[in-house]
Amino acid sequence: MLKEIFRRRDLIRELVLKDLKIRYSRPLLGFAWAFLSPLLTVAIFYVVFSVILQVKTKEAPFLLYLMSAVFTWRFFQDSVASSTTSLVDNKNLVLESQLPHYLIPLSIILANAVNFLPSLFILIITSLFFLKGLPVFIVFLPVILAVHLILTTGISLISSIVYVRFRDMKYVVEALLPILFYLTPAFYSIYLVKDSLPPSLFNLYIYNPFVGVLFLYRLAVLRGFYPAIGEEIGLPGLIICPLIFSAIIFLLGIRFYKRNEKNINDHISY
Amino acid sequence: MTTSPTKLLKNNYKLADRAIEMRSVDKVYQFLKITGRHIGADFDSLRALKNISFNIYKGEILGIIGRNGAGKTTLLNIIAGVLSPTRGEIKVTGKVLGLFNLGIGFQDQLTGRENIFLNGALMGAAKKELEDKLGCIIEFSELGNFIDMPLGTYSQGMRLRLGFSIIVNLDFDILAIDEVLAVGDALFQSKCFERLMDLRRSGKTLVVTNQGMDLVERLCDNVVLLDHGRMLFYGNTTEGVNKYHALLKTEKFFVGLKQETGLVENTKKWAEDTSNWGNELGTKEAAIKKVELINKSGLRPYGIRSGKPLRIKVYFEAKNPIKEPHFGIAIFRQDGVYCYGPNTKFDGHDIPEISPGKGYFELFLSKLLLAPGEYRVSVAIWDKNETLPFSYREGYYKLIVKGNNKTGQLLNLPCIFHSKAYFNLRRKNNGIVDPSMLDDKWGLKIDADGIRVDSVKILDHDDKEQETFITGGQAKLIVSFDKPFNDAKRYVWLGIYRDDGVYCQGISQRAGRSKDFKAAFLELPLLPGGYKISIGVWDGSMRRFLMYHHGIYPFRMVFNRKDHGTVYLQHKWRWTEK
Repeated sequence: MLKEIFRRRDLIRELVLKDLKIRYSRPLLGFAWAFLSPLLTVAIFYVVFSVILQVKTKEAPFLLYLMSAVFTWRFFQDSVASSTTSLVDNKNLVLESQLPHYLIPLSIILANAVNFLPSLFILIITSLFFLKGLPVFIVFLPVILAVHLILTTGISLISSIVYVRFRDMKYVVEALLPILFYLTPAFYSIYLVKDSLPPSLFNLYIYNPFVGVLFLYRLAVLRGFYPAIGEEIGLPGLIICPLIFSAIIFLLGIRFYKRNEKNINDHISY
Repeated sequence: MTTSPTKLLKNNYKLADRAIEMRSVDKVYQFLKITGRHIGADFDSLRALKNISFNIYKGEILGIIGRNGAGKTTLLNIIAGVLSPTRGEIKVTGKVLGLFNLGIGFQDQLTGRENIFLNGALMGAAKKELEDKLGCIIEFSELGNFIDMPLGTYSQGMRLRLGFSIIVNLDFDILAIDEVLAVGDALFQSKCFERLMDLRRSGKTLVVTNQGMDLVERLCDNVVLLDHGRMLFYGNTTEGVNKYHALLKTEKFFVGLKQETGLVENTKKWAEDTSNWGNELGTKEAAIKKVELINKSGLRPYGIRSGKPLRIKVYFEAKNPIKEPHFGIAIFRQDGVYCYGPNTKFDGHDIPEISPGKGYFELFLSKLLLAPGEYRVSVAIWDKNETLPFSYREGYYKLIVKGNNKTGQLLNLPCIFHSKAYFNLRRKNNGIVDPSMLDDKWGLKIDADGIRVDSVKILDHDDKEQETFITGGQAKLIVSFDKPFNDAKRYVWLGIYRDDGVYCQGISQRAGRSKDFKAAFLELPLLPGGYKISIGVWDGSMRRFLMYHHGIYPFRMVFNRKDHGTVYLQHKWRWTEK
């Protein structure tokens, strides 16, 4: 599979470029929207939660706490939502050219990842400005990005294949994504969660891959984040859990794909 | 393209390597079936390909032909590697390119040049290869400066040109082409054709589907003929194309199997889809202008009397000279039941050409053996093989057969009882038997007390009992009861039905002192197919059946020539010469 991805790298690049070009070639502001659009989203959340509801987080300044969650979540949500229907949406591509199916969700995820980079850049700059420095973990940011990518790919692959046969998947995904978002500590402190959950459930919560990946980002970008939560979660658990979860989901995705590869085209066209 | 004028491999391709080997390939599609109350994962399956085996050799052009739904595209998809066979195996040597659509993945927002890279990458080309061939592609597409405009600004023709020029400039060993080249204007098509010939010369293996038989005949070395997922034929192109044409003209699924006799056992059609009625189809190279229904006296009355002559005169105007046409006229009952549809081809007339200008053709029917009612007439000028009409007015004209038809029968065949001729519908005091009350009793035998049927016999002209009769031959029906009725209100009724339940003809007669009931058709004009006879005893005063055997006694009709419909009507043709 990796060999095939390498062999078809030209195709992947073209598909990603196509996606980005279509997104940004026609609007007047062009690629500036990759910066503006996440900022606007964060602005709304900020007004609602900080100005109106007066939410405070002790782990990090609320603005940064919010940005780190919203930006990373947007990448995950956009990728999974558009990947789920991608095989069916692009059935002409699938049926008329011999491209391996997984390249379609993969190219969508990669395009979203490229789209995610500007917002990550904003996050780092803002963090640097507000916290007057970056944590040492920033050097692991590429690795964290890779872990996030792998997790997203695994989930997207599974949901896109399920959708080919069971079109209910779209609605399931649409319902699950917001639930997952509100479950991750995006605009509330984990101490709040700790207070309201029994210890066993809290551990389950804190080590689930979606919270884990978010914590990894915060660890890498927000100075002072680890000291603030260090007493709750040990560093090894914080790092290893999301890694293992992502790897498992990714491998499951590949296995699922291999098992269904031959039947996908039979069901795609109606 | 980096193709040198290499030698033609055609003559010795049998010795050449196999490009594709298919071994008993099956393809089964599964469909999700929603059953009853719960939505379950229940699957219906459809066997799209059955046991397909053949080889394609390097440098060969293979045509896959067959009617719609025969499995051509499925087979092509398997060759191209888009679908995988359910059973069996396929071995492909070399790089296959499947061309199911020109311009796969084309994006309106991107420029022509950007689309070349996207489409090329989708077809499996590396960026380097595309960069090298960019010049060739743009040149072949004749797009010039438009290449840097967004694709959305292109005309359909420009898109096709761009799509085709990308494909033919790519590197491949085997190209599988679906019916894509049927689109585009004549100029584009000839250019495509020219390029395919180039590819053939350079020793590429091509697999094409029906692009029109002319193209298949000129291009292909061998053909595979598919029908209903089975391979009927694999081999020489001319033979395959002939078999395909034969297939188009028959409802029989297997043209490859032997036919037992020279006799036609089934008329092509018994019913017609009435939804197309009133439509005008065809290429309009000749246009039907007017149709006249003329009676014996040369008048055009509102209705024609049953059993009387009818002349159908069709005026047309030809724009171009039309080679080898044939004329056809078909009569349907209002509900779509096919009565009769003769054409000049079945009747053995060769019409070499119609010259441009006005003309007419006429069909004389010596006896209109249809029961009173409303009918529709279709008129057509067909091409040689009845593939595409020049002009076809389907169910366009109304034909009224005058009279009163209370029994719902289709025909009004002359028959003889006890050597006395009757046109039974016009007899007075015949106690009109209404068999519509038996509509849902098909196949049932209801007997009454005191009435017992001894035997029902269908005899030929030698009084031998037969099951099969020839159209236009003599047939006698004899029903024997165990004793005479001696009741003036009782009628014996015989109904002739088509296998599909259409009531063709009824014969009824007052039950007399004889226990045998006999009727004879001197010329039974029913067309080939299966028929059933019903018998019944009708109580004239109570208007109901005392007993009936409905749709029980079968017989078949065969004919020594082809014809469409239910009843053969004696006729002749006349048309303007040149």
